[in-house]
Amino acid sequence: MDETVAEYIRRTVLKIPRDEIKAMLQKWGFLSQAQLETVNFHQIKENISQDVVQLCEENSADIKQAAVLDIIYNHIYPNKRIWSVYQMNRRGEETEVFDLTDFKKKFKRRLQSALKNVTINFREYEDNAIWIRIAWGTPYTKPNQYKASYAVYHSQTPYVFISASVLKSNLPLLCQALVVAANYHDIREMELRSHSLNSLKDIVFKRYSQSFQSYYPRPLQERNVAPETEDLRIVQENRSEKERIQRLNWEAFGDGPQPKLEFAQYKLETMFKSDPKMDVLDKKEPFRCLVKFSSPHLLESLKSLAPAGTADAPLSPLLTCIPQKARNYFKIREKRGLLPGSFVSP
Amino acid sequence: GVFAHLELLEAQAYKAAMKQEEREQQEEKLARLRARLQELRLQRDELRAKLDLQQKGQPGKEGVGSEPARPSARAVVEWKMRSVKSLLQVFYLTGISGKLTKRGVCFCISTAYEGTYLDSYHLDLLTKPEVQIYRHSLPIFIPLQQISKKYLQTDIRRFLAVLSDHLNAYVGRRYQADQLQEHFSDQIEGTLQRNSLCNLLVFNYNLSSKSKTFPFHARLLYGDLCCSLPTEVLVSCTADAPAAQAEVAAAHTDLFRHMALHKAFSSFSSAGESMD
Repeated sequence: MDETVAEYIRRTVLKIPRDEIKAMLQKWGFLSQAQLETVNFHQIKENISQDVVQLCEENSADIKQAAVLDIIYNHIYPNKRIWSVYQMNRRGEETEVFDLTDFKKKFKRRLQSALKNVTINFREYEDNAIWIRIAWGTPYTKPNQYKASYAVYHSQTPYVFISASVLKSNLPLLCQALVVAANYHDIREMELRSHSLNSLKDIVFKRYSQSFQSYYPRPLQERNVAPETEDLRIVQENRSEKERIQRLNWEAFGDGPQPKLEFAQYKLETMFKSDPKMDVLDKKEPFRCLVKFSSPHLLESLKSLAPAGTADAPLSPLLTCIPQKARNYFKIREKRGLLPGSFVSP
Repeated sequence: GVFAHLELLEAQAYKAAMKQEEREQQEEKLARLRARLQELRLQRDELRAKLDLQQKGQPGKEGVGSEPARPSARAVVEWKMRSVKSLLQVFYLTGISGKLTKRGVCFCISTAYEGTYLDSYHLDLLTKPEVQIYRHSLPIFIPLQQISKKYLQTDIRRFLAVLSDHLNAYVGRRYQADQLQEHFSDQIEGTLQRNSLCNLLVFNYNLSSKSKTFPFHARLLYGDLCCSLPTEVLVSCTADAPAAQAEVAAAHTDLFRHMALHKAFSSFSSAGESMD
């Protein structure tokens, strides 16, 4: 077995939390159950990884099989990476018949024709997600396995989720291969980024909770639940205001859990509006400023602002439109004339 | 001796008395329930009569069919609410229901497949200045743009009908594939290859008969997105397979074209194909 493959496997195993190593190796399926039984998974990780490498030696693992272990690790821990969303467009209207084998063949052919030294791996999952792992090399060097790019594609959708490696120069190549394989015409990056891959999927696949008006009771518990046993001596002075806030909050955010985003960034290019007497700026120039909201769970914290009394309800539509517009990077320019809402530029 | 015998008789008499009491209690209970039943039947007939009179009531107010007591305003409102609720329920059961919003209409399309209720999807439409989709919860792989380009502006009923067909067919195909994986996983060899729209299924399956297993390869293409049955089916076996097996493959090809996938599997599992 190649030294580099051994080292790669060793380092991949070291990344896995100790309690999960056995399960992940079982999912990998490269080592037999009997072989796995010989490893003591309670020793320190250093030793576990050495034992695993030893067993892989016995089975003569190659880089492709090692790459599969890497895909499995990244599939279970996708939140360690930052994911961007790309949208593909096609001109005509064709009924989709997505053939997986066809897709894989086209993708490989396109990429390998442009760059000989690449390692490409595919893995399909139950939710129709196709995980693609690409390790990039150059015409003269072997692929760098430690800086692999990941692309996740759901068949018959126009969206691809990409976690690129540091080598941004390979991105156009990847995009081209995806467009050709998926039968689209072009691809563009959306202004949507997060660590949580599933939340990004929820946003673009419209799987997040939206507040739709309908006549029949919502499947989740009714909002106006019977009041908790209150002390009758306590009088709620602000009951109607509280209910108003709750209603507006429900309209903006819906009932269920919000997709997990870590930040929202607003680039302002608007004029500074001050009292003319103060005369802060000599020239009438847009006041350039960047506002960034960060949070471990941005949308949930925005949802709790009004009920907590920290902000007025309704919240600014610039904040509440994030899942619907599927973006968390905004550029805000001056309102021009009578066109409402045209001030947020794409 | 005699005393023992007497004790025995005493015990028997006691038991008989208890049984008698129980029986009497049962009969009493039955009589009570019968009386209650009569009461309720009478009430029901009364209300029916009232309802009939009310329905014919308005034009013939001048003395034709005047009932003993007019229903109270509260009762009328309650009846109206009940009938509106049941009307809404009926619409919901047909699959497409809508509610007017401040800026337009919000539609809810509920799907079902062969008696099983499946997912509901929402469409929030704006009606001014023209009909447009504000937001929705439809799966991204449903060709919404295509359908709205064709029908949204011109014929909204057709738009909703076509969309509902697409959604119902999609959930139907998905349901069949899920059922296949759930109930017939022991006959499926390897993984069932499918896609988001569930309109292409490729899998290998086995038929066992007389302790031998016969492998088959199936490819089902659902060319019509509004249909939950495939348009093209290919069932094949290995080149060196016996002629009888090839016949079975042909029979299955036909079966899959006309019958839901999980039902087809169910039918030939139970029939027990015999091949020699």
